[in-house]
Amino acid sequence: MASEKRDKEEEEVKTDDGSPKIKPRPIVQLGIFLVAHSPVFSVVFSAAGVLALLILPLLAKNTYISENALMPGSARSMLSNRDVSDGSKLVKDIKNYWLNHEGQGVEVQKLIGKYMSDMGAEVYYQKFHPEGNQFHPLHFFSGPDSYTLLDNVSCASYGVNVAGIIRAPRGDGKESIVLVTPYDFINGGDYEALSLGITSTLFSLLARVTWLSKDIIWLVTDSRYGDYRPVAAWLTEYHSPSFKVSDLLKCGELNTADTFRRAGTVAAALVLKVDGRSERFEDTLSIYAEASNGQMPNLDLINVVNYLAVHRQGFYVKVEKVVSLLSSSWLKIIGEIFEAVGKLARTLNPDWNFGIPAADYLEGSATLASSLYSQALGIPTGPHGAFRDYQVDAITLKISPRFPPDSKTRQHDFFLRGARLLEGTIRSVNNLLEKFHQSFFLYLLTSPSKFISVGVYMIAFALLVAPLPMVAASLYIEGCKALTKSTDNPTENLKSWKWLDAAKQVFALHLLGFIVTLLPYFICQVPGQHSPRNRSIMWGTTSSSLLLITFAIIPGCSPFSSRHHGTNWAVLKSVTISAAFIGLCLMSIINFATAEIGALLLVPTCLMAQPIKPALRSRRIKSLLGAFCSMVLLTIGFPVMFFAISKGLFGEAVVGLSLGGEFWTWLESLWAWKSATYLYIGMVHLPCWLLCLCILFHPS
Amino acid sequence: MAEEQNKKPCRFWIWASASVVFRLILISFPGNLNLSSRPEVSTPLTSIRRLAEGYWLKQASMSPYAGSMYHGSPLLLSVLGPLTVQRIKGQPSHLLCSLVFVIADILSAMLLRGIGQKLQMAYGLNARLLGFLKSSRDKVILPCGDIAALVYLWNPFTIVSCVGLSTSPIETLAVILALFGAVTRRVPLAAFGFVMATHLSLYPATLAIPMIILLGYGLDAPPIKLFLQTRSVENEKSSTSTVTKQAKSKQTTHLPFLWKTVMHFLFWVLLWSLYVLVLCALSLNKYGGVEEMFKRTYGFILSIEDLSPNIGVFWYFFAEVFDFFRNFFLIVFHVNVLFMLLPLAIRLKHRPCFLAFVYLAISSILKSYPSVGDSALYLSLCALFVNELVDMKFSFFLFCGYLGISLLSPVMHNLWIWRGTGNANFYFGNAIGYACFQIVFVVESVSAMLNHDRALRRSSSNHGEVNS
Repeated sequence: MASEKRDKEEEEVKTDDGSPKIKPRPIVQLGIFLVAHSPVFSVVFSAAGVLALLILPLLAKNTYISENALMPGSARSMLSNRDVSDGSKLVKDIKNYWLNHEGQGVEVQKLIGKYMSDMGAEVYYQKFHPEGNQFHPLHFFSGPDSYTLLDNVSCASYGVNVAGIIRAPRGDGKESIVLVTPYDFINGGDYEALSLGITSTLFSLLARVTWLSKDIIWLVTDSRYGDYRPVAAWLTEYHSPSFKVSDLLKCGELNTADTFRRAGTVAAALVLKVDGRSERFEDTLSIYAEASNGQMPNLDLINVVNYLAVHRQGFYVKVEKVVSLLSSSWLKIIGEIFEAVGKLARTLNPDWNFGIPAADYLEGSATLASSLYSQALGIPTGPHGAFRDYQVDAITLKISPRFPPDSKTRQHDFFLRGARLLEGTIRSVNNLLEKFHQSFFLYLLTSPSKFISVGVYMIAFALLVAPLPMVAASLYIEGCKALTKSTDNPTENLKSWKWLDAAKQVFALHLLGFIVTLLPYFICQVPGQHSPRNRSIMWGTTSSSLLLITFAIIPGCSPFSSRHHGTNWAVLKSVTISAAFIGLCLMSIINFATAEIGALLLVPTCLMAQPIKPALRSRRIKSLLGAFCSMVLLTIGFPVMFFAISKGLFGEAVVGLSLGGEFWTWLESLWAWKSATYLYIGMVHLPCWLLCLCILFHPS
Repeated sequence: MAEEQNKKPCRFWIWASASVVFRLILISFPGNLNLSSRPEVSTPLTSIRRLAEGYWLKQASMSPYAGSMYHGSPLLLSVLGPLTVQRIKGQPSHLLCSLVFVIADILSAMLLRGIGQKLQMAYGLNARLLGFLKSSRDKVILPCGDIAALVYLWNPFTIVSCVGLSTSPIETLAVILALFGAVTRRVPLAAFGFVMATHLSLYPATLAIPMIILLGYGLDAPPIKLFLQTRSVENEKSSTSTVTKQAKSKQTTHLPFLWKTVMHFLFWVLLWSLYVLVLCALSLNKYGGVEEMFKRTYGFILSIEDLSPNIGVFWYFFAEVFDFFRNFFLIVFHVNVLFMLLPLAIRLKHRPCFLAFVYLAISSILKSYPSVGDSALYLSLCALFVNELVDMKFSFFLFCGYLGISLLSPVMHNLWIWRGTGNANFYFGNAIGYACFQIVFVVESVSAMLNHDRALRRSSSNHGEVNS
């Protein structure tokens, strides 16, 4: 305290009458140094941020099983041919049913239910209403239990799920593991039937084993209404029972009242799908893990499945990747450069073996890009996403067999291997005493067996946004100096509160962003059928008129106001940058991928934004170039524009008004899934973009 | 200028009523905001849910403190309790309580305005005495009362704790009432506010020191030395100059300490506390009496029994600490608050209202169950000194910090409790960040105030030199 006080006094003396220099403390010196050279450092840091993002595939570590209790693959599989024949019989029966009947009613469900109860499981049926995702603006801010039951439902369309529970001989009924197999009960499908076969093979085994300590729930969902919705409906019923008698119960011949059964907290869930033919020689297993808002299941779950699939059952395991990146030449060049650097480093010191082959790098970055993309979108990649809302770790396993669906001979082997994989996984999860907590929740995958943990990928983001506070500080100091000079009476201005005017403007535009974010909800309430295009036009006109009203009401807010009213642009830019920094940091915690992609767009835009008029007046190449850059960045930064460009990059060029429709549909999907990305676009990106526009046209 | 003066109050009332309307709109949203369950807003001491539970227990002729649910005052229970059970059809529950809190907020704002007007007058008077305000036009004195009232009414923290159904608006009202009484020298009112504030949340007990100084020496003023300096210069200059009568009466180097008022105050404090205790004893006579109340309210505050997360720093520490060290650390943590009282009182004795602000800010950092309502109180008190704190450093940095932290807090909580991908460290890290920003805020405001005094001294000496 005392030394600090002395420091300040000394500082004062220095500023007042220029007495001998006294060195401030090193950390202050460092801060002053960084702020003073902020243009250089912001370029360096931003470049380092982009570079760090590019070398992330190099930094990926091999996955390892962190929880010792899991012990995957240590037990011998108990699966016998009898179990497999049970599974094959079910598949055969279902196929026979499809040959003789046209799909209506609940016959298939009943058939599956009969098989389950024959194996000794408790069986029940659940009816659900297919429409669930309704956008409500305030539900973003409340917990997951805000799902409201629809009051008046019709019997015209409803789905029926079948679930069977095996009670664990060693358990106390307080924990359970869920297996989900989506199946279209109306149209059927040969490959989907195979997933039923695998699970019923496994179920037949689990019904008679003695080592189970967690109950097993096998849920066959009605995938007529999508994969996600039936699972979500079942989970809602499972976790928050409604005591109101729904009208749905009376629909159809099946009476499902008071039959819903539960089996304790869900420890883990596996969704199994069999889909299409594998293009490779082996059977392919694809793992989907991204849930809503970029949440991931515990890495241990993926590790267990990956370990068993690769080392025990010989599947080819893959995760999603952006295929178009695999053939991109610039990424290939970067990969080769990194490979060369790695080789060079190894010749210097054999311990430095961070280099990876260019092909691996390409694969890794394609997977990483896909991982980032699906996390940033915030939309779950499969029915496992519904589990994550209840803190349950879940993944979707999509198996593509290498044989056609009607090949009987291969089917036996396929069932055996698929069921063994699931058996091993369930056995591992069954060993757990606590819920998954040992391994990572925050990671990005670069291959099924490689991951980048939060500690590594955050560095890339931190480097990218590091220039923001520095530039904000330097602009703030600069702007304050300019303001002090411009006002005549030094006593009249509030020395340290000069930012208040700029803050008002920033706040007004953020408020506008908030209103614009909520507008679609009200537009959806407008009676009458409207195409997405019309709705987007409505939205656009309302928002822009609101913007004009804001500019008209609040003087100094508008970029077109006279010089007298306008605030100093440096201070305004400083406040804008601070707002962008806070918004990006918040978003990086909610959903890293969105923040990273958003930062790539927003950081250069915010840093480059400067008034265009003085640049045009001065007619120097450098300032003209800067103005041009900021205009280009602002054009790209407009959300609709960015959407169009990214669409164009993927080869679907859209122009004109249909673009508005497409954009509306995209946004609608975002908010229907409660994606935080939607909030980010409306409440951080759009206001900051508008503020940059204000700075660009600032009359200074 | 005069026109502007007329316009100002009008604008003040528009903004004040707008804030009330805003609150009413927020209240009418039924349960969508879910603020009353946020740990930032309602603590075990201030949650209205717990109060309703306590009232229910009492109605069932059990001790309201049974089951460690309710930890507030029994008087609050008798006043707010009946309102928690009354429901108006078609309206959100606890509507009446919310209205009570809105009224408490309005009253606090009005009292703050009153305090501010007094302080503003004192500031103007002192400036004139020291000779800065000769022409009365060269420096505009900001209407700190209006500013403080508006800062209080529009502070998101205040709004959130008002709408979020915590009893902190009432605690705030008691504290501000005490200060108002002391500033306007209404001794019984000051004593009442002080006793109620201490009774409701214990920590305002520290306000005894600033209030005694306030009653004994009068309002905030620059150090007494300055007046003497100025006067000596003026006397040297011309013995016939118009020295005000007031200045003549203060020829001594010490201000007179008004023992009589202070004794008066202490007497009233004693009276009011007896009164409150008797009322509490009456309301609790079947359930263990006052002793039970002390154990369940003050004991609960001091022994930090509830370790559910909040924005303070104590819960995490006491969840980790070994049981046999617990008592030791309880003493250490609580002494932290007391430790700073005396040095600050000595350094800032010429500015008792500012001292009260500093005490409240420190106790809000080192409280066992802090909520954003406490920050709302000291932030609005800070706005009373807007004239003095014009040169405060890092104001923008602090503003961004408060904003960022208060947005980050729900996110971290969500990550830990709802998503399960974070852990307690996430939320605690946020709490540490919040505490740091508060500390920087207190340090900066105190140093700005001291610098202001220094600047006064320097300019007054310059002034003297010029004159001579």
